[in-house]
Amino acid sequence: MIEPKKFWWMIKKELISLKRHPARLVSILAFPIIMILLFGYGMGGEMTDLPIVVVSQSDGDLTDLTLDTIKSTETYHVVEVIDSLDEGKERVDSGEVKAAIILPSDYDKDSNQQKGVTLYIDSSDQMASQILESSTQGIFYRISNMVASQTSVSTQDAHIKPSISHSLNNFKDDISLHINRIYGNIKYIDFLVPAILGMTIMMSCMMGMGATIAGERETGELARLFMTPTSVSTVIGGKIAAKLLIELVRALILIFMAVLLFNVSIKGGFLQTFIVLVIGALCFVGFGIMLSARTQTQEDYAQISLPFSMPMMFVSGVFYPIETMPWILQKLAYVFPLTYLNDAMRGIMLKGQTLGDVWLDLVVLLGFTVLFFIIGVKRFNRDV
Amino acid sequence: MNAIETKNLTKVYNNNFTAVNSLNLEIPKGSIFGMLGPNGAGKTTTIKMLTCLIQPTSGKATVGGYDVQKNPDDVRNLLGMVPQQVSLYKDLTVMENSQLCADYYGVPQDERDSRIEDLMELVDIKYAKDKRVGQLSGGQKQKASLVASLVHRPDILFLDEPTIGLDPTTKRTLWDLIRELNDNGHTIILCSHDMHEVDMLCDNVGIINTGNLVAYDTPQGLKDALLESNKQDLTDALSKISDESEDSDSKKEDLENLSLKKMSVLLKNQDDEIIETISQSDHVKSVEVARNGRINLRIDSFDDMAVQNVLNDIISSGGIITSIFTEEPSLEDVFIKSTSEVNEDDRA
Repeated sequence: MIEPKKFWWMIKKELISLKRHPARLVSILAFPIIMILLFGYGMGGEMTDLPIVVVSQSDGDLTDLTLDTIKSTETYHVVEVIDSLDEGKERVDSGEVKAAIILPSDYDKDSNQQKGVTLYIDSSDQMASQILESSTQGIFYRISNMVASQTSVSTQDAHIKPSISHSLNNFKDDISLHINRIYGNIKYIDFLVPAILGMTIMMSCMMGMGATIAGERETGELARLFMTPTSVSTVIGGKIAAKLLIELVRALILIFMAVLLFNVSIKGGFLQTFIVLVIGALCFVGFGIMLSARTQTQEDYAQISLPFSMPMMFVSGVFYPIETMPWILQKLAYVFPLTYLNDAMRGIMLKGQTLGDVWLDLVVLLGFTVLFFIIGVKRFNRDV
Repeated sequence: MNAIETKNLTKVYNNNFTAVNSLNLEIPKGSIFGMLGPNGAGKTTTIKMLTCLIQPTSGKATVGGYDVQKNPDDVRNLLGMVPQQVSLYKDLTVMENSQLCADYYGVPQDERDSRIEDLMELVDIKYAKDKRVGQLSGGQKQKASLVASLVHRPDILFLDEPTIGLDPTTKRTLWDLIRELNDNGHTIILCSHDMHEVDMLCDNVGIINTGNLVAYDTPQGLKDALLESNKQDLTDALSKISDESEDSDSKKEDLENLSLKKMSVLLKNQDDEIIETISQSDHVKSVEVARNGRINLRIDSFDDMAVQNVLNDIISSGGIITSIFTEEPSLEDVFIKSTSEVNEDDRA
C-alpha cells in the first residue's frame, strides 16, 4: 500500500534540513561543479604552451620561416631563441624548459643534403614529450613539404645520454590518409563529460543513501519510524523519493555546468540525457539500499561501499575506453552498472542516439535496479 | 487484565547467543512497571520483541491482547516508546517532529494539531514548539520525545532511561509527568538503572538477569524480602561460627556488626547526660558523636522495636530531636543481590 503522506514527509524533511543548513545546500550544488571542473580541466584539457627553447645556429629565409611557424604553434611557448647548443641542452637538463629544438648551422644552406634538426627532449615528462614529439614532427613535415627539400628531425633524449636518436624521415606524399570522423571532431573532454556525469551521480547516490539509512539507523530515527504501523517498503520508499529528488537537481546542475564550462554538445538532446541520468540514479540508490540493509552505522557503510564504488569508477570506462583494459577488467566491467550508464550517456550525448538506440543499456540498468531493490527490501532489517 | 503477557518468550540470535531465555512476565494494565537488570541482561531484546522490531525465536507475547507475531500493526498502534537516545529529527522543530509521528501513526488530520498542542501543554514544552530539536536542552528533548510518542494515544508507554543525564529538578518534573500519564490511564514500562527512580515510581518491579526474570514484586516487597533473607543468612552464619572453636571470636564480632543497623539523630539540645542515657539503652551497640553534631548509633537490626525504644529513651531524657534517619536496605541492594545470585549459579 502506498501512503503518500509518509512519502511526502521524507521529502519535506530533507528539504527542511537543506533549507536550515545552507552550508549543506552549497555543498550539494558545489559537488557536481567541482567534479566537472576537476576532471574537465584536470584531465580533459589539451596541453598547450609547453616551454621550449630554440637553438638556431643559422640564419636566412628558411630559419625565419621555421621560427615563425614554431612560435605560432599553440603547443609551444618559446621561452627564448638562442645560438648556443650547450646552453640549450643545459636548460632542458635543468628542467627550465621541456625541450630544445636545435636547428643545425647548415639549416639554411641550399643543398640537397639531408638537414638534421634535433629535438632535445625531457622524456621524464611522458605526456609532454609525446605531444612535443608529434607536433614537432608535424611542423617539420609541413616545412619540408613547403621548401621541398630534405629535412630530417631527430629526437634526442635528454636523460639517456648519449642519446639514441631516431630519425624521423619525412614521408613522401605517396599515401594519403583520409580520416572520416563519423561523430565529428570529438575531444577527450567530450568523451569524458558524459561518464563524469554518470560517475558523479553514482558517487553521490551511494554516499547519500548511506547517510540516510545507515546514519538514521545509528541515531535511532529509523527505529522510531519502524515502531509505527508502517511497512519497510514505505519507509524506504520515502527515503528514495527524497534522495532521488535531490539527485535530479544535481543531475540538472551537472548537465548545465558541462554545457556552460566546456561547451559540451548534447547531440541526443537534453531530455533524453536527463532520463538516462534518472534511471542511473535509481539504480545506484538501489545499490546503496542493498548495501545499507544490514549495516548498523554510517562508518560501516562507508567501509562497505568503498570496495564497490572505487573499482567501479576506474573499470567502467570513465577515463579510458574499456577495450584498452586488461581482459579481466573488461569482464569485470560488464557486471558494473556504471559501465552501462556510461555507455548510454555517451551514446546519447556524443553520438546523438535516442533512448531506443541505447535500450540494451537501459534494460540492464533497470534490471540491476529491480534486483537491488528486491535484495535490499528483503534483507532489510527492521531491527535497529 | 494484563497489558503485556509473555509466555516462554525466547530470543536466540544467529550467533547462538540466547538473549532472552523462556521469559514469563505479566504486566497489569494501568500499572507502572519497572524493568531492571544489568547491562546485557536481555532487557533491550525483550523490549524489541514487544515493540515488534525483532521476531521471537520461540514462545509467545501479547500486548493489549494482540499477538506480537500475528498482529504487529495492532501492537504498534497500542505502543508508545520514548527511547534512551532521543531519536527525533534534529533539523525539524518539536511541532514538525510530532506531526511527522502523528502522520506515521495515521492520526486523523482534523485533530492532529490540537492533540499535539494539548500534549505540549501537558508536558510543558509548548513554549519551544517552533524550536529545532537539535537546539533543545536534554530535558526539553525528553519532553519533545514524550509528545511525539504520545500523539497516537498509546495504551502502553515504554520509557527507556527517560531521566538519564537530567538535572534533579527536571528529573522530578518528569517523574510527576510519568505519574500523571499513569493517572490518565497509560500503562508505563520504565527501564532504568536509577534505583531511586524505580523505587519511587513503580507499582511493580521485575529484575531480569541472563534472559530470565529473577525477581518480581512491589519495591517494598523486594526490600523486605532482602531484609528477611539477610537476617536469615546472618543467623545461619552466627550459629555456624558459635559451633566452631573459640578463636573465631573476632570473626563472630565482625558478623555481629553486620547485623547492626545504622541510625543517626540530630538533637537540638545535645548534652553528655543524654548521650550517656542513649549509650546505656539495651538496643544500642555503639555511639559516636560526629563532627557535624549528629549522633550516629548502631542498633540491633533484628529487633523491630529497637528504633522505637531508642527514640523513647532520648525523649524521656529531655532530648529534642530535629532530624532522624535509619538505614534500610535499598532497591539497589536487592538488585545487586538478585543479579549476583544468578551469576553465581551460572558459574557453578
